Amino acid sequence: MDRTSCFRARNTPKWRTCRGSGRVFGGKVLLFSKDFSGVDGKKWKGEGTTPNLDSIIIGRCYEYIRIVNPAVGEKNCSELLEAFKKAFMNKDPCNILPSDYELFINLSQHSIPPNKSLFWENNQFLVSSYAARTRRYMPLGDTLIGAFGDLLNWCGQANNTEVDDSCPTTEECENNAVESFWRIASINYAKQSSGIIHVMLNGSATGGAYPLKGFFADFEIPNLQKERISQIEIWVMDDIGGPDLDSCGKGSVQTLETQLKEMGYDITCIDNYKSVLFLLCLDHPDHPSCPVVSSALSAQRGCVFSDQGGSWNRLTLISFAAFVLQIHFNLLNQFA
Amino acid sequence: MVLLVGVLVLLVSLVVVIVLAAILTPGRDTSSTLLQWKGRGTTKNLREVVLGRCYNYITMVNPELGNKDCLKIWETLQDAFMYKNPCNITTDDYQPLMDLARHPVPCNKSLFWSKTNELVHRYTKIDHNFLTLEDTLLGYIADQVSWCGDPAGPGINYESCPKWTECESNPSTVYWKMASKMFAEEACGVVQVMLNGSIDAGAFRSSSIFGSVEIFNLDPNKVSTIQIWLMHNIGGPKRDSCTGYSITRLKSILEERNFIVSCEDNYRPVWLFQCVSEPGHEDCRLCFCGIQ
Repeated sequence: MDRTSCFRARNTPKWRTCRGSGRVFGGKVLLFSKDFSGVDGKKWKGEGTTPNLDSIIIGRCYEYIRIVNPAVGEKNCSELLEAFKKAFMNKDPCNILPSDYELFINLSQHSIPPNKSLFWENNQFLVSSYAARTRRYMPLGDTLIGAFGDLLNWCGQANNTEVDDSCPTTEECENNAVESFWRIASINYAKQSSGIIHVMLNGSATGGAYPLKGFFADFEIPNLQKERISQIEIWVMDDIGGPDLDSCGKGSVQTLETQLKEMGYDITCIDNYKSVLFLLCLDHPDHPSCPVVSSALSAQRGCVFSDQGGSWNRLTLISFAAFVLQIHFNLLNQFA
Repeated sequence: MVLLVGVLVLLVSLVVVIVLAAILTPGRDTSSTLLQWKGRGTTKNLREVVLGRCYNYITMVNPELGNKDCLKIWETLQDAFMYKNPCNITTDDYQPLMDLARHPVPCNKSLFWSKTNELVHRYTKIDHNFLTLEDTLLGYIADQVSWCGDPAGPGINYESCPKWTECESNPSTVYWKMASKMFAEEACGVVQVMLNGSIDAGAFRSSSIFGSVEIFNLDPNKVSTIQIWLMHNIGGPKRDSCTGYSITRLKSILEERNFIVSCEDNYRPVWLFQCVSEPGHEDCRLCFCGIQ
């Protein structure tokens, strides 16, 4: 289940129901199926710290610098883990600020290659699948900082006497360890981004594709480095078979486009960006919105192609060329 | 006086003997005496990566395996190859690890593959209806990492490891063969295999791990059907197909063992997945054929 997007959908009164709004993409539901609702006798309503957190994080850290993205260079993963834990261990779990992670961020941050940044709202798994672990893009979840937190949960205790199997939710208190982590991680991610910036939004999300109160709006847009950004490209993806509630030039997307233009950015917006659409169609290969045929089959079915640069453009070009040639011949005949 | 001298001489000779023994005994050599190979060396921080992956797997990916002892799993892996000549690895070396880390796989989900490594693994990262070997614990901890030992100290070779062409009984080949055998043994119900119809010499090869290990370890009492997905590269040559010679041969081998076999050229969801990377290609054009 889409826990990270739950935290990213904070500040909406319905954030605790984000389990439903967090997209389950590709039939992928994490086998990790613990319930969000608190169990009686526990101090807080949220899940406890992920078991084996230290080993998992160290492993992910080395995996990232050795295998996923060696360009990051040499990092001391034990040092990073210590700095990460210092932010929240032995502290009141409702009094953890983003700045508590500053040392950790300084040690673990790295630049994002230009044109590889991918921001998002309400489509975590789709983004993660599409980015393919930095192969296509590098969203926050595919950075070293992201590796520390993605799909994990953690908190400390003030007295450190009893081990409690629960952590506060953002509803219970905003300044909790996980929420503050993602806030400063998002801020840093925006600051490290350059070139063409991509944003993937969910055109079928209730409440709008661009949440006015969300991580992208509150922490990422304000920290974009304008002088290093050439363009912002927005993709609005609808669920296959889902409602088309928002799209380019409409609703909240228009609000976003206007806001960014006023800030001085060069904006493009694409509805159902084709490459991502194919990914969505994996789960619905026979859906009418997803008809794909090879060119061999198309002739048999008498298909009309809808994509840009398809046969229509070629036809137009050939017709135009023929027209021009005809004029030339006529002129030559006249002067001959 | 003579006694004193005698004792002194004894002491001195004792010291000399000890010193000589220390120098001449073949101790742990420096890494400059490591064997040299053509393949990439052991992944740095292998221990941390393997442990972290193991814990990640049993905690997040497949919590039913919560009782697995990751530390023990790492130790049996280490014991399998450290200080050993990496051309002399046997199945006995890995058996304790295989026994510790093996686990059942849900029926109808096993996805085998041959010559479609990148495609099949990218695909199962998206579509969790199918599991490859690399989606099981044994495959998960070993995917994309390498390791090998050396008789000389420190017992592990970070510089290089033998390639299959240098010797077959190397730590990697033996590991993957054993893990593949186990993966086939655990399969049940309907199983799938993704083959590559764009390569030379046929989509199905008897010399591949699929052709030599996996198909012979499928249990006819547990597995009923094998579905073949014969994939072509987008824009790639269509050298083989479901009606081609190598698939006909594969079918007969499987049918002889009482399996039902079916084959589909360019299984649609995987084809769509390939189009993600080539959205502008002719083979990926969106066509609306009046279907409503």
